[in-house]
Amino acid sequence: MAIEHDQIIPSRPTVTWRTGLAQFPWWLVIILTIIAIMAMRIIFDPIYRDIFVTIVQGLGLTLYVTVVSFGLSLVLGLVLGLGRVAKNPVLRNLAITYIEFIRGVPMLVLIFTISFAVVPMVARTFGLPNNAVSLTTRAIIALVLIYGAYIAEIFRAGIESIGRGQMEAARSLGMSHVQAMRYVILPQAVRNVLPALGNDLIAMLKDSSLVSVLGVREMTQVARLSVSTSFRYEETYFILTLFYLSLTLVLSLLLQLLQRRLRPGG
Amino acid sequence: MRRIVLLALASLALIVLAACGGGPAVSPPPTNVPASGSAAQPTAAAGQLPDLGGRRVTIAVENAYPPFNYINPATGKGEGWDYDAWNEICRLLNCVPVFQEASWEGMIQAVANGQFDAAADGITITEERARQVDFSDGYIQVAQRLMARVDETRFSNMDEFIANESLRLGTQTGTTNYETAARLLPESRIQAFEQFPFAVAALINGDVDGVIIDETAGQGYVGTNAEKVKLVGEPLSSDQLGFIFPKGSDLVEPVNLALAEMRRSGKLDELAKKYFSAEFKLPGS
Repeated sequence: MAIEHDQIIPSRPTVTWRTGLAQFPWWLVIILTIIAIMAMRIIFDPIYRDIFVTIVQGLGLTLYVTVVSFGLSLVLGLVLGLGRVAKNPVLRNLAITYIEFIRGVPMLVLIFTISFAVVPMVARTFGLPNNAVSLTTRAIIALVLIYGAYIAEIFRAGIESIGRGQMEAARSLGMSHVQAMRYVILPQAVRNVLPALGNDLIAMLKDSSLVSVLGVREMTQVARLSVSTSFRYEETYFILTLFYLSLTLVLSLLLQLLQRRLRPGG
Repeated sequence: MRRIVLLALASLALIVLAACGGGPAVSPPPTNVPASGSAAQPTAAAGQLPDLGGRRVTIAVENAYPPFNYINPATGKGEGWDYDAWNEICRLLNCVPVFQEASWEGMIQAVANGQFDAAADGITITEERARQVDFSDGYIQVAQRLMARVDETRFSNMDEFIANESLRLGTQTGTTNYETAARLLPESRIQAFEQFPFAVAALINGDVDGVIIDETAGQGYVGTNAEKVKLVGEPLSSDQLGFIFPKGSDLVEPVNLALAEMRRSGKLDELAKKYFSAEFKLPGS
């Protein structure tokens, strides 16, 4: 049978995945299942339990380093970010120099450089003994200096995402530039960049494992120390992996909740 | 020279054989007994070293554990006791040593997995490790020592170090030195670094106040930094060092025979004098 030209050939019916089953976050179920299986092993298998208990010893320091470093890098990032969008060319170029410097070097190299070269140099300049700054503190300083640069770029994007009109309107109401920034631009900018900041908090948690190279006894270092005598590589690294995965999962779910709360009109 | 030694050994073996009616041909000197006591006694006829037929043997080295292995800054090439020893072993056994740089962390596991044919890194023979890998006979007895800054006055031995709770100790992750430290001190006072050079640098910088280290390696650092660090107090423990191989490796016995030969020929003494005495200086220092 010949097809007439004006007859519309029905295209293959597209399956629309709009059903509830398809919208369900299966990925979360899969990950939670893996975590549950590991949890069962940890509860019932004494070998897993011992390793779990060992790694837990580093959990506090991991969280401490992450939270303190992130808090301080928010402050540094805001200062740098404001410098990055400043009208003053000296400030702006200083901020850009610093940011480019940090972003152009691998994190691990920076951790070594800051901990074993920069901090001792600064300590000497102030006439302090070399060991005035503990290695844990150096780890935090390194993470703050590195993340400050990354977070500065986030703040810059946030500030630039607010239309010029906002600044002009605020100025026409008689606000100073600083007041306009503080009361009009930044509150909106911060809300816009919350998802990006949340991602950086998760990245900070993961990158805190890098400071194990300084001998800081966080989770990764504890695991490394234990595996070097136990030789239980599979169990130890599986449990360590699951630890970080569980932490980042919890964090990202919390951040999603926070974003829903802060949504305009939410 | 080697001919003469072999002839002498052969004739000695004949005498021994004649004397004890075909017992074990050569019993290695007592220092040759591995701590684990698991290695089989070499049974090849005396003086008859096995021929590996020119095969390549991959040997993992850290290149960060002087004087056993380190990078010579002038040439950029690895050298040290391990290099000289394995070159000699392979000269005796007719093999080609291929040195591969690997980090200490995971080195034992990598050998256990068969990633390398052997590893040489001043590895202490311990029972836990012997469950993972096969050890050669011990080639040196080494004491663990406490290293301090040269101007240190707060302690002069380990007991005083332990007593003073403000003192912190550095060492390397996954070493028997770390285990010794963990036995003597609470973990909060121990700082474990990835490599010994970091630990020694931390000591010189004042990040830590002492370092537990094998005497052989420690002397290398003292020789290099004689104006900065010193070894103090009595030996903390005494261990045998050996090469490691994957479980069931066919290299263990030939290497043991080669080591026995090197002990007899004085080659081990010569290497000890070259690397483990005051005359050793790290190149470029």
